[in-house]
Amino acid sequence: MITEAVKKLIRDCVGPENVLESSIDRFGYSYDSSFIPMAKEHIPELVVLPSTTEEVAKVMAIAHQYAIPVTPRGTASGRTGGCIPVAGGLSLALTRMTKVLELDERNMMVTAEAGVRTIDIYHTCAQKGLFFPPDPASWKYSTIGGNIGENAGGMRAVKYGVTSNYVMGLEVVLADGTVLHTGGKAIKNVTGYNLTQLFTGSEGTLGIITKVLLRLIPMPKARNTLQLMFGSLDNACNTIHQMLMSGLVPAAAELMDKISLQAVARHRKLDISPDIEACVVLEIDGDTQADLLKQAERISAIAHSLQVIEVRIAQSAQEVDEIWAIRRGLSSAIGAMAPNRFGEDISVPRDAFPKAVRLIRDIGKKYHLTIAVYGHAGDGNIHPSILCDLSKEGEEEVVHRAVDEIFDAALSVGGTLSGEHGIGLTKRPYIAKALGHPGISTLKAVKQALDPKGILNPGKIWE
Amino acid sequence: MKSRLEHQPLLQEVKEIVSQCDRCGTCLTVCPLYGIKDIESSSARGKNNIARGILAGVVEADHEALKAINFCLLCRTCIDSCPNKVKTDDAMIAVRQFFADKNGSPGIKYQALGSLMKNRKLVKLSAGALQLMRGMRLNHLVPHGMAPREFTRKQYLAAFAGPAILGSIPGRSPLKRSLTGKVAYFKGCGMQMLFPDAVQESIRILSTASSVQLVNNGCCGLPQLAHGLRNDFLEMAKETIALFEQTDIIVSDCASCSGTLKHVAAYFAGDPAWRERAAVFSAKVMGISEYLFEVGYQPRNQSQALITFHEPCHLGRGQGIKNQPRELLKATGNFVEMAGANSCCGGAGSFHIDYPDVSKQILAKKQQNIEASHANLVVSECPTCLVQLNKAAANSGGKFKVMHISQVL
Repeated sequence: MITEAVKKLIRDCVGPENVLESSIDRFGYSYDSSFIPMAKEHIPELVVLPSTTEEVAKVMAIAHQYAIPVTPRGTASGRTGGCIPVAGGLSLALTRMTKVLELDERNMMVTAEAGVRTIDIYHTCAQKGLFFPPDPASWKYSTIGGNIGENAGGMRAVKYGVTSNYVMGLEVVLADGTVLHTGGKAIKNVTGYNLTQLFTGSEGTLGIITKVLLRLIPMPKARNTLQLMFGSLDNACNTIHQMLMSGLVPAAAELMDKISLQAVARHRKLDISPDIEACVVLEIDGDTQADLLKQAERISAIAHSLQVIEVRIAQSAQEVDEIWAIRRGLSSAIGAMAPNRFGEDISVPRDAFPKAVRLIRDIGKKYHLTIAVYGHAGDGNIHPSILCDLSKEGEEEVVHRAVDEIFDAALSVGGTLSGEHGIGLTKRPYIAKALGHPGISTLKAVKQALDPKGILNPGKIWE
Repeated sequence: MKSRLEHQPLLQEVKEIVSQCDRCGTCLTVCPLYGIKDIESSSARGKNNIARGILAGVVEADHEALKAINFCLLCRTCIDSCPNKVKTDDAMIAVRQFFADKNGSPGIKYQALGSLMKNRKLVKLSAGALQLMRGMRLNHLVPHGMAPREFTRKQYLAAFAGPAILGSIPGRSPLKRSLTGKVAYFKGCGMQMLFPDAVQESIRILSTASSVQLVNNGCCGLPQLAHGLRNDFLEMAKETIALFEQTDIIVSDCASCSGTLKHVAAYFAGDPAWRERAAVFSAKVMGISEYLFEVGYQPRNQSQALITFHEPCHLGRGQGIKNQPRELLKATGNFVEMAGANSCCGGAGSFHIDYPDVSKQILAKKQQNIEASHANLVVSECPTCLVQLNKAAANSGGKFKVMHISQVL
């Protein structure tokens, strides 16, 4: 319980217009984009919307003094319940910290506040011919702070890596309100522990990220998109492997299985032949159109040697959009197929992709569940979506067993629980199995050192 | 947790819509209200999930919840960008109805507005309507929103039309093809009360294409439907359906009317006695620019004015009528597309009266876009939009004028 006196202290820090107190307004900060059902217990006692690092620091100092739980939040587009304030206390929404502070063209770096939308970072940099590659599916509305907190991935990871590969430095408000600066613009930097990478992907459990320094690369001059349809999943995956091994690295290599494809077909009123077992969407980039043409020809040749059914090379910007619309609309199309959907985010070594998909299919058969599978085949990140109806007697239990087995399947082929969504609430029960006891105790030691009172995003990553 | 409310039929309707929300947050980037008041409950996601919270027993169905649900423009901008096309407007309308049923009334204000619009005689006293409203102390419903009476088509011609056309009598337009059948004009309340000159122009234009039936119709029912008076809406819709049974095409120069009338069929889909008649009725309805474009209408004169178009929510997103008004305006000579032409002006029925400050901020963005287009004239097809745009014109210090599309074609 936050006392009225403490609420007043907080109001005085940030101004009453940046504090939400009515129950209906606070309710809006009790959910995210995960499948966790809404609950009264998830409604924060207070929502605080700071505009500056100083305000965040003051609020944290108060929270620390009175041991109030603080759950940081961006736009709540997360898929694992990371910003759900399960312990009550404050929801600290950074959506009003929206300034791009500096675009340093010579060093090719950008500094921004945590609440800037990722797509706005991309556009700001693109205007100067610079490229910030990470593009999680939510990048149009997710904040950069949230993306760094979760170490979000995206489709371009196969060639350009994930968010952490671009984070050079951070400003972090620690649990007691101390403002810490990590990293910097020096490319080589081995002074001390790499705290920048420690906070990246820490899901708000170690500190509040308020500013970010990101590395950029030159914008590729030309891009195009290809769509390949296969009659077998193995041939689809093998095409990607052979491409990569021959030095053809696509900017994105996405794979959708038959269930996913048919879901999109229904959703978008398209006609996709039932003979198609897998669809691969590739983005290629390079210096010139001739470059792209050469790449497309080589890819086409590899795909034909692996019995591709159809190769479609986009001929216009409109066609590029059409092809990507299929992939980008996938998650929603699948979500619309059943009352409930459990979307997972396992990640496996790239060559284990077909095997993992087969294991997932077997699990679906065993439990009589429809499981749509799609993912970033270029980097081994798989999103199995279990479609179910939790209002059916016993369904929840079955789904949980299936999820358990999916995680076991991922670990059995040398993979891990989460590629890009984080652990949050939904994967907590499985983390010990994935990391082992030394792994867990090391993480807990770090947590204990940085957040001795346990006020930062309590209940996340582990129970 | 499930609540008993879930089995309430109206909430069942809501559930079907809002359960499609994946809570991704796409709508936060486009919702005009979230753009002004950036807290979750202002956004489409916020409101859809309040509805969901009510169903799940997590949110109290109290006055605070209703206030949040009322704070929606019904502009459908969210639907346009929503991956699941969650129909926020339909959900909000149904939740409002649920509250009105629960409370026994939608509240004095909406009840008064609904009754006024329902009363054909009151609406028909078009010239005197404003005085009447003043007498009823309802004049705050139209604060300085009237189109200046001196700004008629005559003034428009004098100011903007090419010299060769000036003073000529409107002739019959050469038509590409005619939509056969009897055409009736649906006289909307807002147009009738606030823009009688535009009504005359609409009738005149329609008369050049066909002989027009003038029907003594009542309100389209949107003000009632939007604010918890669904029974009134249905009752009025039945009257309207019967009234237009003999006509083949029903044209309205108000986007909200044409949009609502097209949706009448959906509201009777479950009513065996009316389903068929309602479907036939809705299929006959056309917006005026939709109709004129379809028959190949040629504007009566060329204009020297640089014209831009404000696309009403209920026209573009509501009915998919986007290129028709623009093509017609292009044919008058000088057309320029402004940035954000399809973004809501903040009018939204009675929203601008209920939330004047928010409405003003939304309108300010619109004004900026109009000014940046350098247009002398902004044209639209909805009386509420025209009211808003007239406020913007006044605020801009006369940088542009505002007219209904019928007045310039």
